[in-house]
Amino acid sequence: MTTLAIGLFLVLALLGMPLAFSLGLAALGGLAYSGIELSVLPQRMMHAVNSFPLMAIPLFMLAGELMVGGQVMQRTIDFANAVVGRVKGGLAHVTLLSGLGLASVTGAAVAGASALGTTMMPAMKKHYDVGFGSAVVASASNLGPIIPPSAAMIVYALMAGSSVSVGGLFMAGVVPGILLVVGMMGLASYIAHRKGYAPTGEPFSWQNLLIQGKRAGAIILMPVVVIGGIVGGVFTATEGAAIAVIYAFIVGKWVTRKLSWSELPGCMFRAALTSAVVGALIAFATPLTFLFTIELLPLRLSEFIQGFTTNPEVFLAMVMVMLLIVGMFLESNAAYIMLVPLFAPIAMAYGIDPLYFGFLFVFNLVIGMMTPPVGVLLFVMCGIAKIPMSRLLHYVWPFIALQYLVLMLCWVFPWLVTALPHALGY
Amino acid sequence: MKTGHSEHADMLAGPGAGSSLAASVRRCLLGVDGASMFLIQATMAVMVLLVSSQVFSRYLLSESIDWADEGSRLAFVWAIFLAIPHGLKQGVHVGIDVLTNRLSAHWQERLARLMLLISGVLMVVVCYQAVMVSIDTWEELMPTLPVTASVFYFPVMLSCGHALLHLLFMAWQGTDTWREPDNEEELS
Repeated sequence: MTTLAIGLFLVLALLGMPLAFSLGLAALGGLAYSGIELSVLPQRMMHAVNSFPLMAIPLFMLAGELMVGGQVMQRTIDFANAVVGRVKGGLAHVTLLSGLGLASVTGAAVAGASALGTTMMPAMKKHYDVGFGSAVVASASNLGPIIPPSAAMIVYALMAGSSVSVGGLFMAGVVPGILLVVGMMGLASYIAHRKGYAPTGEPFSWQNLLIQGKRAGAIILMPVVVIGGIVGGVFTATEGAAIAVIYAFIVGKWVTRKLSWSELPGCMFRAALTSAVVGALIAFATPLTFLFTIELLPLRLSEFIQGFTTNPEVFLAMVMVMLLIVGMFLESNAAYIMLVPLFAPIAMAYGIDPLYFGFLFVFNLVIGMMTPPVGVLLFVMCGIAKIPMSRLLHYVWPFIALQYLVLMLCWVFPWLVTALPHALGY
Repeated sequence: MKTGHSEHADMLAGPGAGSSLAASVRRCLLGVDGASMFLIQATMAVMVLLVSSQVFSRYLLSESIDWADEGSRLAFVWAIFLAIPHGLKQGVHVGIDVLTNRLSAHWQERLARLMLLISGVLMVVVCYQAVMVSIDTWEELMPTLPVTASVFYFPVMLSCGHALLHLLFMAWQGTDTWREPDNEEELS
């Protein structure tokens, strides 16, 4: 039955059917073949979505929409420009720091790419090669699922069950996220130096920094309040996301004064639409994972892998290589939903720290969002910048290599990932 | 030069509409989409208000709203399921096109329409089963609200019914039938 369901899923997915529906039809085929009542379908689908932690995803998306609607991005960009605008590749640095700011609110890469791309690309096109600008925006957007909050980590934690806390995973991303930003800024400077791009921003002045810092103060404070509240145990991730929505609305309405009441319905609809992509995957995949469970697939897979090796390092290496390949061909959310219930329990059996394993799992698939042939961020950026994929690929490879380097560092030095969450009691 | 009225009629008809029947169906679907969009926005607003009110109530009034958790989850389930057909219309549901991209445009379109029809079978089955489960759970009440627990299944059946309409319409009129200015206007 499992073979039939997996085979059906693969055939339908490769024939171009949306992954969510391929998963649903595979589950339908498996249930029908096994003689299990089909009422399981709507029941499992509804229960999969009926989750309080999952609610954080549309709420963080909505906060991001309100930030964009309130033209908060411009103040963040002005502040980043005051800090790093004048250095070599300054505009790329501004983009990366703005991406960091956006990542600390939305937690999603694609939404970040749209917001950053439309805001930063016109200026980038003026001063840099459009391929380089697009590669920087794609890399900055890819910080979204690494820097807390992260929609990907919420999905991972939900799929892994009670073994991983969302707050712990959020904190696991902080140090690698900072490493990524610093590394990307260094790489952007190096490329700008080699290509001979002239500095673009105003000369640095403390006065300008203070002015821009004051203008962006309320915005910079937002992730401190929201993430601080979640980590400090003041509220859950979902409640923090709702606070982020209220905060973003107040900032857009009364601080920047750019957000109007009439924009709210559109923001809410777009947030729901983006979240429905993940929601559909989760809903339609859950009956299939139910089938796997009653066939004892996780247990059999665990026994098979443990029969192959008892070394946790070898297991981790196998999973990393598998995710590297999966990330190239499968959308990351689909991969979390299908693979986390299978591999997270096995990692636990090997005695691997769930936060460490969870972070490496997420990070590996996040990099897959930038790798061809199914790198969703590449498609988004090609659409925004109106450039062929080959030109973007030429510039994006160093940034992908850098991300894999940071992944390797996290793999070799687990404390980079686990020290902060463990110090905070996770 | 086209008048505003004829432009609007063309937009309603869409690229693949070859008959007044198609235009009528398109108009009906737009009406259903509008109603669904309103519900999505309302449930999103309820979700935000309930979750944030719970935090404020807990810290400022030192009491919690018993039904806030369940109410917000209900709103979330409605918002997500109702938005799935819109995702279909906008073409945002992710898929793998590594192999299908190698086909000619003609065969890509044919295959895509076949996939839409096969997806429709899933929608029919899930919608029917959701109706059955709703009937079965009609007598059960939600733990914190005096409302039937089957309201959690209503969005599943509505979503599948709505998605089925879009799948059939796109299989009939073409997969890019909604990728027109009217669609972008709706989003903006």
